[in-house]
Amino acid sequence: MVMFIYVDLYLIFIELKRISVKLRSVRIKLSEDLSEEMKKLKEEIANLKEQFRNVMGGERERRRGIYIDVGDRVHDYVEDMMEGVAEGIHGELEKSIFIGPRGVRILRRKEPHIRRDEVELSFPKAAEVMSALGHEHRLRILDELMSGGKYINELQEKLSEITTSTLSSHLKVLEEAGLVVQEKVRGRYLITMPGRTAYKMARRVTRFVERRNQE
Amino acid sequence: MAKLSIGNTVSKTSEAVTLWQMEKGIVEISKNTLAVPIELDDKERGYVFHGNGKFLLDSIVETEEGAIGKPVEKELNELFLMLGDTEEIQKRFTEAGEEDFAKMGYENQHGFLAKAEDLFNRFFEKGMHGHRILNEDHGFIFAFQNETSKLDILVDKGLKLVYKAMDMVFVSNKNKVVLKSPSEVVCLSNGKSVIVKK
Repeated sequence: MVMFIYVDLYLIFIELKRISVKLRSVRIKLSEDLSEEMKKLKEEIANLKEQFRNVMGGERERRRGIYIDVGDRVHDYVEDMMEGVAEGIHGELEKSIFIGPRGVRILRRKEPHIRRDEVELSFPKAAEVMSALGHEHRLRILDELMSGGKYINELQEKLSEITTSTLSSHLKVLEEAGLVVQEKVRGRYLITMPGRTAYKMARRVTRFVERRNQE
Repeated sequence: MAKLSIGNTVSKTSEAVTLWQMEKGIVEISKNTLAVPIELDDKERGYVFHGNGKFLLDSIVETEEGAIGKPVEKELNELFLMLGDTEEIQKRFTEAGEEDFAKMGYENQHGFLAKAEDLFNRFFEKGMHGHRILNEDHGFIFAFQNETSKLDILVDKGLKLVYKAMDMVFVSNKNKVVLKSPSEVVCLSNGKSVIVKK
């Protein structure tokens, strides 16, 4: 019995020795490969340094003007710029959205939670927004813009009962309240995000009041 | 290696000129705007301008939740740089005289050239653009100086439009639009939008 144990131990020892020799040879091989790679890298770096010196050094004339490689095209420039923008946006999204196995989660900043009733209402701003909504024609303008941007003549067709100057002044009020924005080049009027919310709110309040009055 | 340099001959516009125009934006300069050419191997590839003009860009994204962003409206009273098609513009130039330099606040032609060269160098040497320039491609690049004397860049390459200013980036590429402002990021692709509030 003891004999068998000694034999087993001896066999294990032999096996370990064999593995150790094998590992050593692998390590030597790896170190040889790495040193070869390092050598190549050093050569490449030296080469690049030489090229850099040539570009920066003697060849540039001291006259006005810049020497460039015209192989670069505006296409590359736009691509690069867009890539940069995309990276920026990707970064923003990463900060705000987490996509995990359980779905998408919106990350919020670790700021102290403020209860809704603690937020101070800006009365002048609230009055401005409510005042902008407080006219039938302006509500109708918002209603028209809910289906997409429109030129003033398109709005004029829909609201034929009011003059162009009145329509313009209504649009100005809506613009000042931030409910509508006008494109500067094409001139179309667009309903903004707050404009949509305000319009929906006006509709909801109206429905609620009507229902209550009927009861 | 091709040589890119700023010319020595200063001209002025004989009438108002629209330098760039598309659905979303426009760059116009008025009569008597000073211009010095940017040359690539002695061929005009753009100009540095100084006069009066305006730049408009509808950097607005139309999402299902409503329009986001506002138009950019800039008076062009400072020097700015343009790279792009010069053929049509060349026809609207006339020789600039001493009184034209005086009107823009320069003592003489050298005063204007020095400022133009400074902008040229800032754009090509210190900017993020590296040494890139229009070659055979059709397209426009504008560099406007902003309040902090940094450069706002507008690039129009066919269907792609990029505007990068101090506090915003607007990219439009076919049916994809991206707006990055200090308060939000909006990405619109084929009618679908993602809005990230900062």
